[in-house]
Amino acid sequence: MSAPEHLLELTNVAKHFGGLYALSGLTFHVDPGEIVSVIGPNGAGKSTMFNVVTGLYGPDDGGIRFRGANIVGLAPNQVTKLGIARTFQTVHLFPNMTILENAMVGQHCRTRSGVFGSVFRLPGTRREEQRIRERARESLGFFGSRLAGYREEQPASALSYANRRRLEMARALATDPALVMLDEPTAGMNPRETLELRDHIVRMRDELGLTVLVIEHDMRVVKGVSDRVVALDYGRKIAEGSYDEVANDPQVIEAYLGTKAVG
Amino acid sequence: MATATDEQVRGAELGLLERLPWRRIILVVLSIAILSVVAIGAFKTLTLPADERYSTTTWKDFIVLGLAQGAIIALIALGYTLVYGILRMINFAHGEVFMFGAFGAFFFSDAWEQSGFLNSNPILSMALLLVIAMLVSMGVAILLERIAYRPLRNAPRLVPLITAIGASLFLQNTARGFFGAQSRGFGVPEVLDGTWTILGVEVDRIQVVVLVTVIVAVTALSLFVSKTTTGKSMRAVAADSEIASLMGIRVDRVIVTTFAIGGLLAGIAAVLFSITFESVSFTMGFRPGIAAFTAAVLGGIGSISGAALGGVLLGLLQSVGPALILTGYGIPSSFQLKDAFTFLVLVLVLIFRPGGLLGSSEAEKV
Amino acid sequence: MGGVPTRSIVRTGLLGGVGAIYVALVGLYTKFADLELVGQQITLGRVLIVAPAFVAAFAVTRPRVVAGERQTVELRGGLGVGALSGLVGAGVFAAALWFADWFGVDRIREVFVAITEPLVDFLTFDKGVPAGLPILIALCVVGGVVGGFVRTAPVEIRRPASAGVLAVILFGLLQRIIPIVFVQLGFEADWLYDRGAGLTWFGALIVFAVAAAANSLWNRDGGRTRERVRRNVGQAPAAKVGLFVAILAIMTILPLLLGTAISEVLGSVMIYVLLGLGLNIVVGYAGLLDLGYVAFFAFGAYTTGLLTGAFLNTTTGAATPALSADLNFYVAVWIVALLAAGVGLLIGAPVLRLRGDYLAIVTLGLGEIVSVITASKWAQPLIGGPQGMRGVTKAEVFGLNFQDNPQHFYYLALAFVLLAAFVSWRLSTSRIGRAWNAMREDEQVADAMGISTTKFKLLAFALGGAIGSLGGALFAVSIGSLTPASFEITVSITALAVVILGGLGSIPGVLVGALVLIGLPGLLREFEEYRALIYGGALVAIMILRPQGLIPNVRRSRELEDEEVSQDAWAAKAAAESEAVAAVLPGGGLGVEREDLE
Repeated sequence: MSAPEHLLELTNVAKHFGGLYALSGLTFHVDPGEIVSVIGPNGAGKSTMFNVVTGLYGPDDGGIRFRGANIVGLAPNQVTKLGIARTFQTVHLFPNMTILENAMVGQHCRTRSGVFGSVFRLPGTRREEQRIRERARESLGFFGSRLAGYREEQPASALSYANRRRLEMARALATDPALVMLDEPTAGMNPRETLELRDHIVRMRDELGLTVLVIEHDMRVVKGVSDRVVALDYGRKIAEGSYDEVANDPQVIEAYLGTKAVG
Repeated sequence: MATATDEQVRGAELGLLERLPWRRIILVVLSIAILSVVAIGAFKTLTLPADERYSTTTWKDFIVLGLAQGAIIALIALGYTLVYGILRMINFAHGEVFMFGAFGAFFFSDAWEQSGFLNSNPILSMALLLVIAMLVSMGVAILLERIAYRPLRNAPRLVPLITAIGASLFLQNTARGFFGAQSRGFGVPEVLDGTWTILGVEVDRIQVVVLVTVIVAVTALSLFVSKTTTGKSMRAVAADSEIASLMGIRVDRVIVTTFAIGGLLAGIAAVLFSITFESVSFTMGFRPGIAAFTAAVLGGIGSISGAALGGVLLGLLQSVGPALILTGYGIPSSFQLKDAFTFLVLVLVLIFRPGGLLGSSEAEKV
Repeated sequence: MGGVPTRSIVRTGLLGGVGAIYVALVGLYTKFADLELVGQQITLGRVLIVAPAFVAAFAVTRPRVVAGERQTVELRGGLGVGALSGLVGAGVFAAALWFADWFGVDRIREVFVAITEPLVDFLTFDKGVPAGLPILIALCVVGGVVGGFVRTAPVEIRRPASAGVLAVILFGLLQRIIPIVFVQLGFEADWLYDRGAGLTWFGALIVFAVAAAANSLWNRDGGRTRERVRRNVGQAPAAKVGLFVAILAIMTILPLLLGTAISEVLGSVMIYVLLGLGLNIVVGYAGLLDLGYVAFFAFGAYTTGLLTGAFLNTTTGAATPALSADLNFYVAVWIVALLAAGVGLLIGAPVLRLRGDYLAIVTLGLGEIVSVITASKWAQPLIGGPQGMRGVTKAEVFGLNFQDNPQHFYYLALAFVLLAAFVSWRLSTSRIGRAWNAMREDEQVADAMGISTTKFKLLAFALGGAIGSLGGALFAVSIGSLTPASFEITVSITALAVVILGGLGSIPGVLVGALVLIGLPGLLREFEEYRALIYGGALVAIMILRPQGLIPNVRRSRELEDEEVSQDAWAAKAAAESEAVAAVLPGGGLGVEREDLE
């Protein structure tokens, strides 16, 4: 029975590519205001799970519910409009658009101006543009001064790696989501940046009221942010619980092939 | 900063209008419409009163004609599919590769016809014509790759496509400048006039030659691709060119070879086409080019057997289709409508099954 | 020699020679032998003789990267290299010519129809084969030397010189319109142009001097003036508006200056500007390669005919089409546009999800289907089949007759062009334009960010279709009768070439593209036959050399350049900025946080 208080609920989700089962029998949920981490070795199906939830492709079996409503079969832009935002494992910005424009794209699904309004610059359209700009700046400002000020007009391709990741997150935040799904947000960052991002994730929950689902490899981050941890291996859930429970689960340790859980 | 108490809704509901699977609805309606048109047309054609109906001989003629023309289309289609498999691009100018081969053969054929050599040694002269056309087409294909496509290996998608279109225009009009705008008659050895009776069926001699040549060529190609090292290299590069180069395969060379083979096949097709239609002109590459591309897509682009299958199928569709479907509606199936038919097949295949008959039902997205 | 490997010189020279042979074989020499550019001696044909040598020398003296360092070629070396490559090319060319003469021009003509005795005479300066060859060779060597010079001379000399030469050639090519402008303005033009021919020597000298001087001033102080003006114009909206008004004023006066005959050409140019603007939305903004644009053009033309009471041409006279109405043009034209948009939506729905190449082919197919249908007997009761229709409305208003008076028509077309340009411009800078940009850069990610790619592709396609149909409507009005010959794939490809030459996504680019691709051949009848050849060559050349077009849209330039180039450019600018900041702040800019410098 799907309880209406789960924000996101996966029930028995399966996905295969040819003969390869990327996900099977995957069941877990995320409640509002939680930060849930998804861990697992490479190839465990974590990104696939993200893709299935956001509608990039459909599951071969099982159900996915968001706020109680079925979202299987929806196009990605519809899923985003319903309130799920995501980032990608490899950063996918719009490289030739400016930083501000990248963030403004996020607000697209919350706005409505059509051809008529755009051509004639009706007052409603102008107000909306103004609001888009402000919201975008707010999202950029979440990361401090790095993406703000004179930086706004620079092409996204000119950013450093860490800033690109931040911009992608800002863009996701700009869609005014209820649930943010981050795919390995700290990959490639140095330790200082990683810890900073860990704090950002917590701030997303505390200051913005968002629910966060994050795929992570860095256990310091996982330990620092998670209310719950879900561990996947070969497309299946092998453990779920608090960080300590999962970190000490023998199956999880084995899945990481002897890698001792840090912390 | 927006918070949970913000007025702005976090997420929104999707209206009913947005939730409807519009694309599927349109596709279903479209397919029903098309199937009905086809079925009704065919029914009406076949149930015409006896004096208006096509005779069995006529149907047989349509079918054989379709097979022969389809065979030629298949040869050209192979050129498209091979290049697409390796470079993931459509060589728009392949029709012009074909056309130049035809002209190359034409000048010799013309001279030999006047000197009588064509009729006194038909087999030798046909063989030589084939070789000449193959060489010329090959040359054009290699030049094309080197000048127009190689500099753009890493360019964004649109760019090589536009270049190919420009190259096609350029080559067509180069031929016009070189050889003149008039179409020229292509001589056929007398021995190929008339018909043979094979297995009790009477067929044009030229059609037999066409079919046999194509079968030999396609078989040779299959053997080449599956058995020789070069063929294996080609398959490797088609699968993953980066890894192939890491394995020591010289990708540039393989690409040139692929273009060369495509050109070779187009050259053969050029001679066959020219003796079938007995003429050459600088625009002769355009329609067959599109037909061949349609065939390649129909069969599943990137697949050799797909191109062959698609070619034959398209040939049959072209010759039997308008007769079967349109006659019932009282629409005279003129030459032009046959072309429209081909384009319609192309459009429909791409809409409903972009992967082709032998491919998947999902086109690669992006 | 001169730092350039000999092998390179020889190879490029050979290519130059082959290029010249190609020009001969394709008939360009024969065609342009008599088109005088300056005086009687410098004809376009003769310019074409030296052109391959020039281009080859220009190419071979380019800066190279040797052992990680960029090496330019010195002037003296450059001249020598140019001469050598010119010599090699000329040798090949001369040898081919000698061979043709020996083998028998008539025999060659059986294959290559352009090789004629007059051609040989032209190439040997009327002196016949062995005697004229040294002149030919000498000329090509000179061409090579000039090519080398243009590449390797110091900037202060070569930029003005190139500008001067280009200006002379341009004025030479425009010999049919510039004198008319002068006369209309009440000036004499005899000092500038020989009557009915090219520039006078004196005129050429003046043009060269003025252009060179202007270029020199513009690039003074190593480009500082240029940069300053660009920045001021870029930042001051008033300047931009002023520029726009100036261009608009020129465009408005043009037909009055140039007379009726040329106004016809301008009318065609305007129609293609309109088509280009529509296609620019589809290809330039939304990134959808549409090769079947003629379908919308034809739809617009024929529907306008049907809605304004045109007749079918039949063997027995005129007939009423199966569906007909007799509306005023200014009412009908909006219905046409709306219908076209609807058709665009219908066609687009199943088709627009396809990947780039496939979409191109599908649209090509659809365009061809429409072409065939316009000529078919099947559709004859509606649109007249091979004989077509006639009697399309003249769209008269306030006594202005747009069908019989080319100058009036130009203004009608201009009005529509301005409308389309306005709509395009406003959309490109709006939320919708942003969605298109995102879609074009990364479709899947744009979708994931909440942009309904289907909706915006359909929007672009429908809008582009509507504008294309307006082009067709105008076309119908301008010529009054419609035949299938006007609706072939050529239209689609020309429109595409216009957009690409001008620059994808660039509205002024469309204007420039149309002027060059429609205007020039329209003015110079000799180009008519080679129009398609030039289009094809231009497309290939542009894609290889300058894919962002003549007047690039800044964003597209970035997309089409390598990322390193744009990063370097930005980094250089940032470095300059931070230097400027450091120079101003006391203590060397310590007020800037370390993090901000990431």
